[in-house]
Amino acid sequence: MTARAFGIGALTCVLLALVPAGAVAVAERASLQASFSPDRLATPTTISFSFELSTLAGTAPAPLTRIDLRMPAGLNYTTTTLGLALCNPEALVAHGLSGCPANSRLGYGDAAVEVPFGSGAGHEIPEIQAVAGPSKSGNMEVLFYAKGLYPVLAQLAFTGEVLPDSGLFGSQLATSVPLIASVPGGPDVSITRVSTTIGPRHLTYYKRVHGRRVAFTPRGVAVPARCPRGGFPFAASFAFLDGTEASATTTVPCPSRRDG
Amino acid sequence: MPFHMTARRMGCRVTKAVALSVVVALTVAVGALTVASGTSAAGGAHVARTISLSETGHLHLTSHKGFTLNEQGTTGGTIDGTIYIHLHVVSTDRVTAEVNIYPTGSSITGSASGSYRSSGALATFDGTMSVIHGSGAYAHANGSGLRFTGTIARANDAVTVHVSGSFRT
Repeated sequence: MTARAFGIGALTCVLLALVPAGAVAVAERASLQASFSPDRLATPTTISFSFELSTLAGTAPAPLTRIDLRMPAGLNYTTTTLGLALCNPEALVAHGLSGCPANSRLGYGDAAVEVPFGSGAGHEIPEIQAVAGPSKSGNMEVLFYAKGLYPVLAQLAFTGEVLPDSGLFGSQLATSVPLIASVPGGPDVSITRVSTTIGPRHLTYYKRVHGRRVAFTPRGVAVPARCPRGGFPFAASFAFLDGTEASATTTVPCPSRRDG
Repeated sequence: MPFHMTARRMGCRVTKAVALSVVVALTVAVGALTVASGTSAAGGAHVARTISLSETGHLHLTSHKGFTLNEQGTTGGTIDGTIYIHLHVVSTDRVTAEVNIYPTGSSITGSASGSYRSSGALATFDGTMSVIHGSGAYAHANGSGLRFTGTIARANDAVTVHVSGSFRT
């Protein structure tokens, strides 16, 4: 090796060392929205949240692998009757929502995904369902399910676990997102938007009263009894297949005194 | 005959004396046992005793405020009585509780904490309880490390609770 060749090699090594490991991946950005309905202190509610993901260049992000949604302290799970029954994940995948008891439903929503070979306009997934799943580690589990439509033929099924949190946040929904092949054996899709609810809005449960099946509306998680200065904080962090991460925060404003 | 009569009378006296002695002795012994197992009838010195408790209570929700379920019901097992529990859900996985048991004319108060998990129709809790106070027959009650477990029927917040272990009075 000549001295010149050695010098070029050393310079290359130095330059490579200076490049951040994640620089080859395109940075992602995220936005988060949340709301309560009704928005009254200490009142059972439906929590709506949605997020949007893209790259800083505005293109579809890398496939999503994890979402941690942190929810405000004081949300009251004590008297909620959501999730009185549990849905077996295998039954959910095999039969869709009809494979689950009505009393396991927690919420619903929609989503948008981008396929690598798509037009770039995104594809709507018109219906996502959230149901209560069996607990593996003692924590409440939420199963999210959607049936893919052309050109995404795969089912979306992933599990979130409600974990205790600290400080401004009382709990977090930690969700691992499996890779979703656009077509069997094809490239993975990118999730660009998810909107969903956790709460009784538009849900009907059933119970037996004197042998008769009676419909009722389940009681939701209650809005905290006190609103912290600046509103109820929500935060989400996202991890992507290419190793990048993104985060977003939002607040639900304190209800007006008249509303609260 | 007179001799026999006298002897019979004497025997009778002896028998009465022995019987009286036995009654007195038994009375003293019973009295001693009473003192040994609790507080004397005269309200004198307290003598500690250990009570091995195994209780099952069935309670219904009377009210709730914030994260606290206020429950009332009946308990049976070692002690029969009315039971009240204030069950405070501290977080998604922890509970604390104040437990009051009211046997007739007495009371036992306990403080409990444990894990909490909610899954489907039932939420369960599992932890330990300390007996911190008592009155009446359970005056000076205290103890710790009692097992405190139970379930909450999420549809109506009815509670079934099991308490087992020993405490002293």
